Amino acid sequence: MSQPGRNILVVRDVCKSFPGVKALDRVSIQVPSGVVYGIVGENGAGKSTLMKILSGVYEKDSGTIEFDGKVIERTTPIQALRRGLSIIYQEFNLVNTMSVGENIYLGRFREMGGMRGVHKKARALLDSIGSRISTYAKVGDLSASEMQIVEITKALSFDSRLIIMDEPSSSLTSEELKRLGKIINQLRDKGISTIYISHKLDEIFEYCDIVTVMRDGCVIDSRPVSEMSRSEMIEKMVGRTIDNEYPPRMHCVGGPLLEIKNLTTRKLHDVSFTLNRGEILGFVGLVGAGRTEIVRAIYGADKVRSHTLHLQGKQTRVRNPKEAMVAGMGLLPEDRKREGLILPFSVEANITMASLDRLTRHGIIDRSKEKEIGERQIKNLNIKTPSAQTRTHSLSGGNQQKCIVGRWLELDPQILILDEPTRGIDVGAKYEIYTLMNRIVEAGGSIIMISSELPEVLNMSNRVLTICEGRVTGEFNPETASAAEIMSRAIG
Amino acid sequence: MSMTSVLNKVWKSLSRQKAVLAILALVTLMLFFDTNFFTPYNWLDMLRSTSIIEIIGFGVTVVVICGACDLSVGGTMSIGGILAIMLVNANYPFWLAFLAGILSGALVGLVNGFLVVHQKTEPFIITLGMGMLLKGVAQQLTNASPLSSRNMEFMKISNQQFFGIPSLVVYMAVLLVAFFCLLRFTGYGRNCYAIGGNYEVAKNSGINVIRTKWIAFVISGSTAALAGVLLASRMNTGSSIYGDTTGMLVNCGIVIGGTSFAGGIGGIYESFIGLFVIQLISNSMGMLGIGGYSQQLIRGIIIVLIIGMDCYARKRKREAV
Repeated sequence: MSQPGRNILVVRDVCKSFPGVKALDRVSIQVPSGVVYGIVGENGAGKSTLMKILSGVYEKDSGTIEFDGKVIERTTPIQALRRGLSIIYQEFNLVNTMSVGENIYLGRFREMGGMRGVHKKARALLDSIGSRISTYAKVGDLSASEMQIVEITKALSFDSRLIIMDEPSSSLTSEELKRLGKIINQLRDKGISTIYISHKLDEIFEYCDIVTVMRDGCVIDSRPVSEMSRSEMIEKMVGRTIDNEYPPRMHCVGGPLLEIKNLTTRKLHDVSFTLNRGEILGFVGLVGAGRTEIVRAIYGADKVRSHTLHLQGKQTRVRNPKEAMVAGMGLLPEDRKREGLILPFSVEANITMASLDRLTRHGIIDRSKEKEIGERQIKNLNIKTPSAQTRTHSLSGGNQQKCIVGRWLELDPQILILDEPTRGIDVGAKYEIYTLMNRIVEAGGSIIMISSELPEVLNMSNRVLTICEGRVTGEFNPETASAAEIMSRAIG
Repeated sequence: MSMTSVLNKVWKSLSRQKAVLAILALVTLMLFFDTNFFTPYNWLDMLRSTSIIEIIGFGVTVVVICGACDLSVGGTMSIGGILAIMLVNANYPFWLAFLAGILSGALVGLVNGFLVVHQKTEPFIITLGMGMLLKGVAQQLTNASPLSSRNMEFMKISNQQFFGIPSLVVYMAVLLVAFFCLLRFTGYGRNCYAIGGNYEVAKNSGINVIRTKWIAFVISGSTAALAGVLLASRMNTGSSIYGDTTGMLVNCGIVIGGTSFAGGIGGIYESFIGLFVIQLISNSMGMLGIGGYSQQLIRGIIIVLIIGMDCYARKRKREAV
């Protein structure tokens, strides 16, 4: 075990270039043993590149890396792991069809003395961080936070002395986040260092001892968290002063537009609510509370047991997304890579996907019209892309999100459903999404917004509904209600 | 621009599709032997021989782009031909027999599509089973012996020439252009790519995923039956043994061309090249006098090599940064 105070990781003047971009420019950081080290920065700041160099996915161009006192020239992910450095990516590296124990010791069954040894050792490790997950449970049946615990346990099974967590909270609810915080504290007590990469500044302030701010491939500042203020940190991240994280709230609420009554599915119980014209309605609740299920049911993407839907006072049937679209709804799904975008399609093709019917004459696509629409939305939404023909998988998260928004805006929807619209998006792009939302309601549209970031919902919405275990448990005016009050209803 | 950079560019665009590379390699190889390989007659003959599986392949490509596959086309082809011959022998006009043959394929596609799209069965298994079922039907219909027609007009469909070009080659060319346009320029084609690329996204974007995919199966069944009728006309025979290996061969040729079984990637041109490679291999080996058993072995090696190299290149590209 390394002594406290010693540096487990020293990175000096590391540079890395990709064709056309300098991803890292003389980056230096020092991570002492037994600390939680936060790294913040906008998307494209170089955080992920740095992590991938550390884990051996990429090779550095120049500079030195010392891990545990030894200079590391080149490494592979598995070597890094055996040396004691693990990375937990945003998307988990777990085999969903195998058990927890098998996942933790994947590929090392023999070393562990067969399956019995695997489960015994896995049990001991899970106990050591106070988790009660069964080692025989199938990983696919676990919640996101439990999967994360399995990932952490897997890292511990390699005797890791440095665990890098890339956006660990993006799929967690606030309750689960607290549990993660506890585990991170336990790791610190054991002398294990954690590098915590996050967009969410609250978490950095809560968990981290030291924080490094990166921007455009450079380290802007490294300091103990206690010596940096929130506004200072944001300023350093974006390189400009953001007076406010949120644009001013819109007030253009009109009469009722959409009325849902007695919506019941396997997971939802008797959900009723009204959405007004020009309103931003926020849904607050834990992940798994049924927020996504409600909007998917309204949108016709999931099967519904019973419900009545009134649109502008008229009873309307929405049995599938096509009918929802015709009724004037658009959905920005939670998982934009899996449910929102066709990654191998171009920006343009992704934008025109839903409006293709209007672009075809006798079944033939009108290319010039398609180009026009693509260009218009790219300009309108300020999508940063080399060209309209660029495939969307090379765009950043914020720009991908804008492509989906563009797809719906082209249809001029009355109701836009945004499910976690700013997840994994950097601060600057978030602000753009917020102003975009305001523009939509100003133009007379209505928005249902789901978000796990409470401040975001509270600052953007005109009205907030709390959802818990498939039921609507409360309705609040975010201008007068306190966050604690709302959260207590959401937890149930 | 220097000579090397031009060559580099040419090489890059060629090596992107390994099937093109294979064609070049085979053609180059044939330069060293004194055969009739390079005569116009041989090339027309190759095109004519390959036209049947090409036509089937065009239809199946639509299904594969939608993210499924269709292995029942061999059986469909066989049934289509037998049905057409039975009808002309029963003194129905040849055009009616022709249409009825195609309709039988559309019906098979309808059933395949229903099972895959609505019942969410695994297309590989269900169409494989359907192929077996159809072969059984064909055997019942013909008593497992070949059936020849007595109608000259029917025979003429595939055995005539237009301006010195065999009619089968002309039919293939027309369908090639038609399917190319279908996939490239129509909203339907774009929706097929969207469904294969990401089913959920396509659905959420209001695309009628069920109808689109279903139609793809109907298209695939119809082209397979059309090919069956053309083959029956060409051979003047309908038989239950036609199409025993066709299903596998066609799907294989499509993948050789570079259309991905995962869906969303590929096209008609790619399939044309991929299927042509198979014919080219057989033809050149025949010219060189290589025996049947060795041919089988060499064909297998080349196919595995092409697909392996293609997948390796794609993997490299995916992992590169």
